[in-house]
Amino acid sequence: MDLQRFWEWFYSSPAIDVLRNAKYAIPLIQSFHLFGLTLVLGTVVIFNARLLGIGMGKITPPVIANQLWRITLIGLLLSITTGILVFIPDPARYASNTAFKTKLVILIASILFHFTFFRKAIRSTTPTPRGRAAAVAAVSLTLWFGVGWAGRAIAFLG
Amino acid sequence: MSIVSWCHWLQNTPFATGIRQSDLFFPLIEGSHIIALSLSVGLIVVFDLRLLRVAFRGQPASLIMEQFVPFSLPGFVIMFATGVLLFISQAEKVYLNPFFRFKLAFLVLAGINASVYQVKYYPKMREWDKSGLVPWGAKLSGALSLLVWAAVIALGRTMAYEL
Repeated sequence: MDLQRFWEWFYSSPAIDVLRNAKYAIPLIQSFHLFGLTLVLGTVVIFNARLLGIGMGKITPPVIANQLWRITLIGLLLSITTGILVFIPDPARYASNTAFKTKLVILIASILFHFTFFRKAIRSTTPTPRGRAAAVAAVSLTLWFGVGWAGRAIAFLG
Repeated sequence: MSIVSWCHWLQNTPFATGIRQSDLFFPLIEGSHIIALSLSVGLIVVFDLRLLRVAFRGQPASLIMEQFVPFSLPGFVIMFATGVLLFISQAEKVYLNPFFRFKLAFLVLAGINASVYQVKYYPKMREWDKSGLVPWGAKLSGALSLLVWAAVIALGRTMAYEL
């Protein structure tokens, strides 16, 4: 079965039909999507505040990273899974939405940055130089919050 | 004047109509209300996870509270301010929305849960921190907090779906 046929089968499968037609299925799934967002953005704010030296001075960045890295991942997986579930029943609406396409691009950029430059900065046992920490935090916060705002914009922009 | 007619009057004031009809302010206020979840609930969740010994097991709970929880305050201020503006802009429909009423009830529950923690477990945190164990009541408070905030998010999302 090729990919196109798989998606067509998936799109018209009874399970997806339930999602499409049950009155509260989508808002419930979106609730989990938002809970995932809370975990991702919440931990990202903590990482970046610490990196910038705004409070949290009694806990080192690598300890914060060790303890919360998984929480970010759990939130991310929750948001991606529920995001797919919101997308599948109504792909045409999203595929043609500029905010949605922008969101996907920023999301991919966020993930790539998070697991490379950001990970290196937050896990470093020697303090990251001020300028570098500021640059890393600026990129990280802009990207992750960009995902959130682009997501919200799906409802308001075509 | 009944509450409904007061809400009706409120949402028809020029200020409320201005927010509701603005292509800029309404999305900005609503977006801020959702994205500030990261600062408010996001930070509370981390402390709840410490109480449940899921994260920061090696650090005293009092340290995690002192280092993280103050950051949630600006988050809750944004939440409350944008929430009030959203209510004003659609007061009548929101007031009549059953999900909104449940959401308020759960917010009250979250407040009661946090107050019980503050009175009963916070003053003795440094003592139980030394033993490395979390009293069962404090754990319960952390678990309740997670569940109640998840419910608030779900009810908030669902009420908007009904507007």
